[in-house]
Amino acid sequence: MSLLKIARLPPLKLLNSIHDPHLLLHSNAPLTVLRRALSHNKYRRPGQPIEDKFPWENITFNFSKGLERIKKNFKLLKQEFSDRWVGPEGKSIINHMLEQNRVIWEFRGPESLQEWTVSSDEMIGGQSKVYLKLGKNDTCFLYGTLCSAPPRDGETRYSGYCAMRSKQPLASFDRKKHYDWSSFNTLHLRVRGDGRPWMISIATEAYFSHQKDDLYSYFLYTRGGPYWQDVKIPFSKFFLTNRGRIQDDQHPLWLDKVNTIGFTLGDKVDGPFQLEIDFIGVCKDFAHTEDFAYETCKRNPEV
Amino acid sequence: MSPYMLIILIFTLGLGTLITLSSSHWLIAWMGLELNTFAILPLMAQQHSPRAMEATIKYFIIQTTAATMLLFASVSNAWLSGQWEIQQMSHPTPLALITIALALKLGLAPMHAWFPEVLQGLNFSTGLILSTWQKLAPFSLLLQIPPTSSFLLITLGFISVLMGGWGGLNQTQLRKILGYSSIAHLGWMILIMQYAPPLTLLALTVYIVLTSSMFLTFLYNQATNINSLAISWTKTPMLTALTPLVLLSLGGLPPLTGFLPKWAILQELTKQGLTPVAALTALSALLSLYFYLRLSYATALTTPPNNLPATLPWRIIFKQPTTFLAVLITMSLSLLPLSPSVMAFFTF
Repeated sequence: MSLLKIARLPPLKLLNSIHDPHLLLHSNAPLTVLRRALSHNKYRRPGQPIEDKFPWENITFNFSKGLERIKKNFKLLKQEFSDRWVGPEGKSIINHMLEQNRVIWEFRGPESLQEWTVSSDEMIGGQSKVYLKLGKNDTCFLYGTLCSAPPRDGETRYSGYCAMRSKQPLASFDRKKHYDWSSFNTLHLRVRGDGRPWMISIATEAYFSHQKDDLYSYFLYTRGGPYWQDVKIPFSKFFLTNRGRIQDDQHPLWLDKVNTIGFTLGDKVDGPFQLEIDFIGVCKDFAHTEDFAYETCKRNPEV
Repeated sequence: MSPYMLIILIFTLGLGTLITLSSSHWLIAWMGLELNTFAILPLMAQQHSPRAMEATIKYFIIQTTAATMLLFASVSNAWLSGQWEIQQMSHPTPLALITIALALKLGLAPMHAWFPEVLQGLNFSTGLILSTWQKLAPFSLLLQIPPTSSFLLITLGFISVLMGGWGGLNQTQLRKILGYSSIAHLGWMILIMQYAPPLTLLALTVYIVLTSSMFLTFLYNQATNINSLAISWTKTPMLTALTPLVLLSLGGLPPLTGFLPKWAILQELTKQGLTPVAALTALSALLSLYFYLRLSYATALTTPPNNLPATLPWRIIFKQPTTFLAVLITMSLSLLPLSPSVMAFFTF
């Protein structure tokens, strides 16, 4: 008969920080029972990983990594300092004024994928899968499977989304940096899809906590086929949404503090999907003079 | 906004400033400042855009913090000295606290970070009120209180000039540039306040004239960033020719009006034996001059890419009256030869 694995409990003084009193009792129960008991008071959504580590076990101390980060951050700080003398965003004023097109994201190597993050309803217990890799022609290839079956948690009724979002740009010492696209008025993408409709969402810097889910969205209809699609969407067409709901009070997108851009698929059609992106850029279209495409007047005015 | 509401708000704005200007009791002065703050909040928020609301709330928090500090300092002074007179403050701690509170209200460095952000969220007309009218009440209090620690005022002034120049260097948004310009100009005013208060008034008046010219120019051109200012020559050629001169006047170059306060301040600082401070401040003003020159260059000395030579003329609201702007620009450019009479006017 094999001996049961007896968990080596942490020293008693560390257990003082745990508020659940029953954990203070010594037990010969196997490790899994103790660890499951760690979070049995909290509801774990299906799809979320089981928290089977004590908080102090999540700390990884790496001195050399810390030194590297310090060097990297000071290098960035020095760069910011010297860029200030060159001009806006490190470019001379002539370059800034003459610039009519700018490629923001161009997927030409594996390091370009580090700037993006993918998510799907798997994190709330759904069954969609999404993956991101470098395509054959050095393009961004987003693929996966959409499944609109809702997770069986008793509260979610709708599901089925996959998304890809750029990471927040960071300045030195992990300070937030923003994209300043105020010199441009159009979003220019080169994509190749499979005919599915996507939603492009731009997140700007928000101040209030109830604005943290504010996104400016517009549709991206892909045409399946071997040909690339050049999509130009004026920023005046983006409408304000919050958690997927179009807001009554619409406002134009302010381009001086853009944080992230994302692509979301949620067309309720189960099955595989693919989206290939060559580049994402912004351009200035002088012929486009519209400030905002939607009414900003008060709806249902009081009589 | 309803015109009745607008009248009430503008009236309250004026009333608040006048109450502060004419009061000798700290509580009445505080009340005037609060009236000012609350009157401008609906004006700032009338657009209801997220950025305007953000600017409004930031402004509210900053101003009420400063007003609370001011109230606390004046109550402490009343407790320590037994009286509420503004001009009779004797205890150094409340005096220093009041100076810091008023510096926060004005947007002096190192309490300046809120000002460009708030200005960026507003339209030009409200930004103009914020940059000009809202400075009058705190300045009137600063001028009335006895001079506090000389080191504090000189530090506030010098750091403001430096940060105003440094912060504006990398900006492309015109409102933020005007915000940093405002911080730098306020620094000049604070530097000389304890030695020659009339020069502070002179600097404030010239600053109001110059800043109003710039705000109205940008409002007329509907220009919010450097690139849109650069194509303003197609819309208003005459104004585009004058804008660089107003910018250089803001930078303090002779023979324009903006040189007068800077010249007088540097002269007075030198007379007071603060030659190193004067030299460092003059050098710091070069930072501001750099971004004014950059704006002048972009406005008048370049032909940026554009659609047509006469593009978008319909975007200009031709019915907008420009008489006031014309008067302001004239004053911004040609008051230097009248320096003796201007100085005599202020050294009452």
